[in-house]
Amino acid sequence: MIRLEDVSKVYRTDRIETTALDGISVAIDRGAFVSVMGPSGCGKSTLLNVMGLLDAPSGGTVSLDGAPIRGYRDREVASLRNAKVGFVFQSFHLIADLTVSDNVEIPLLYRRMAGAERRKRVATALERVGLTSRRDHFPTQLSGGQQQRVAIARAIVGNPQLLLADEPTGNLDSQMGDEIMAVLHELNEQGTTIVMVTHDPRLAESTHRTIRLFDGRQVQ
Amino acid sequence: MRSTLKLALKVLLRRKFFTFVSLFAVAFTLLVLLVSAAMLDHIFGPQGPEDRPDRTLVVLKAEIAGEQSRRNGWAGYGLLARTLPEMPGVERSTIFAVVRKLTTYHEGRKITCFTRRTDGEFWNVFRFQFLEGAPYGQDAETQALPVAVVSESTRDRFFGPGRAVGKTLELDGRRLRVVGVVRNVPSIRFLTFADVWLPTSLSRSDAYKKDLVGDFAGAMLLAAGANADDVSAEFARRVANVPINDDRFKTLSAHASTLFGAVASFFVFEGLEGKPPAVILGVLWLMAILFMALPALNLINLNLSRILERASEIGVRKSFGATSGALVRQFLVENIVLAGLGGALASVLTAIVLAALNRSGLIPHASFALNFRVLGWGVLLTLVFGIVSGVLPAWRMSRLHPVGALQGRFE
Repeated sequence: MIRLEDVSKVYRTDRIETTALDGISVAIDRGAFVSVMGPSGCGKSTLLNVMGLLDAPSGGTVSLDGAPIRGYRDREVASLRNAKVGFVFQSFHLIADLTVSDNVEIPLLYRRMAGAERRKRVATALERVGLTSRRDHFPTQLSGGQQQRVAIARAIVGNPQLLLADEPTGNLDSQMGDEIMAVLHELNEQGTTIVMVTHDPRLAESTHRTIRLFDGRQVQ
Repeated sequence: MRSTLKLALKVLLRRKFFTFVSLFAVAFTLLVLLVSAAMLDHIFGPQGPEDRPDRTLVVLKAEIAGEQSRRNGWAGYGLLARTLPEMPGVERSTIFAVVRKLTTYHEGRKITCFTRRTDGEFWNVFRFQFLEGAPYGQDAETQALPVAVVSESTRDRFFGPGRAVGKTLELDGRRLRVVGVVRNVPSIRFLTFADVWLPTSLSRSDAYKKDLVGDFAGAMLLAAGANADDVSAEFARRVANVPINDDRFKTLSAHASTLFGAVASFFVFEGLEGKPPAVILGVLWLMAILFMALPALNLINLNLSRILERASEIGVRKSFGATSGALVRQFLVENIVLAGLGGALASVLTAIVLAALNRSGLIPHASFALNFRVLGWGVLLTLVFGIVSGVLPAWRMSRLHPVGALQGRFE
């Protein structure tokens, strides 16, 4: 599904050079549920951003479905993200001005798709996360767990093959966190490949495989 | 596009304070510009007696100059009488005086009115709406017949309501017979405005017939298909051949141009006489844009400060496949919708202000209106405002790195 070969990421400012990732080589197969663990600042989120084509690596190669992503233009990378990748963020990143439905619809707005089809897909995604009754609510009217479920619905509405979740339970209490994990496991069982950053060993244990990072290097 | 519009409206409705401040700035700016446009349209647009501005060339100003002396002002009758007749490409031409304020007594009442001396062709070049009677013809001018055309308000002041044709009034020591009554002409239509029109030849002296600079103006109605530039060039050739007959002066200059060009150069842009109207229009546009610059900069600033507030949204949209172009489009549409709402509000306010201006009587007989031409200018100005104030913030927002935007960093 996605392959990283000798990937590095270096952030440079006027005075400082910070190596966030150093020689990472990872292959994630279709249908896998992989967790990424490590201490704060070890490069977990950077790894996820590189995998999700949000950030370009400083060195090495990222391949998606066997095709190396190199020299792509903004439009092409945006199109790939839209078609193949879904994101779930720790702080949800829902747009407060939009209703639940409108938030979930966002990825479909950047595709050629009729309004009726978009509405149908939004309804299906909300049904999958159990939030059909909240479709006209605004994010601020929902609990944290419900907001994260909306974020998951938004991530899966375009049927991406790869779901990247950056500490999806980090802002939730354990009960809500368990609910979210149950949704993610269900999606994985239905065929979605998931890479999830987490600090919680209990959650990592429930995934198929764990990648451990330390100071930007892969230690497991 | 529908969802972009929907989102734009939602964003504006949810950010009420921002929307209020922005709408106020946009609506006030556009209000001033629309009232100005309505006034300019009332002066230059195809309305009232001057309803064929595209076919009319006018001569307003003349100047004679020598080494020691210089005289300039309205054109003289002598200059116009030597240059306008039988002009190729011109269907009709007229020579008429500037308005003169006269005071008279009628049945013991003191009445002040503006009079204008004209030839008979005046009524063919300009089309007045006659409420009764008819204009005087060229025979009245050649035979110095004591006749007059009056406006409806003048009729009421002299004779009260009812028919006035056939009645007489005394002006400047002459008794004039009323032959026609026309609808009032706004005073800002300064080529045609008057309360009483009478033949030029009723003047007490013939001295005006020699003047190169005086108190007259000329107008030419172009024949169908005639080229205005050719007519202007021929007029310039004729002016060059007019004898000056005064040793103090060496050069004579006068230009035939459109009403808009002539009026603008006569009153506003002294150095631009004879320049194409496009130059003057360009200057007016520049003034409008400079006037819009301050609120536009304010809106740009407000929008830029909102990048921080909308960073998360930009990051999310980019993460889910929005290109920079799509984001520029979205933010531009939002700004244009805001400007559009401001434009609609400004249109309503403009209609109220214009109605108040009309009622105030500040400009006699003025009937400013929001017609399609003025609204067209409004739409254009609104679009310009929306795009100008939206492009830079939209571009800056679209260039944010998705990861930085999600983390609230802007580099």
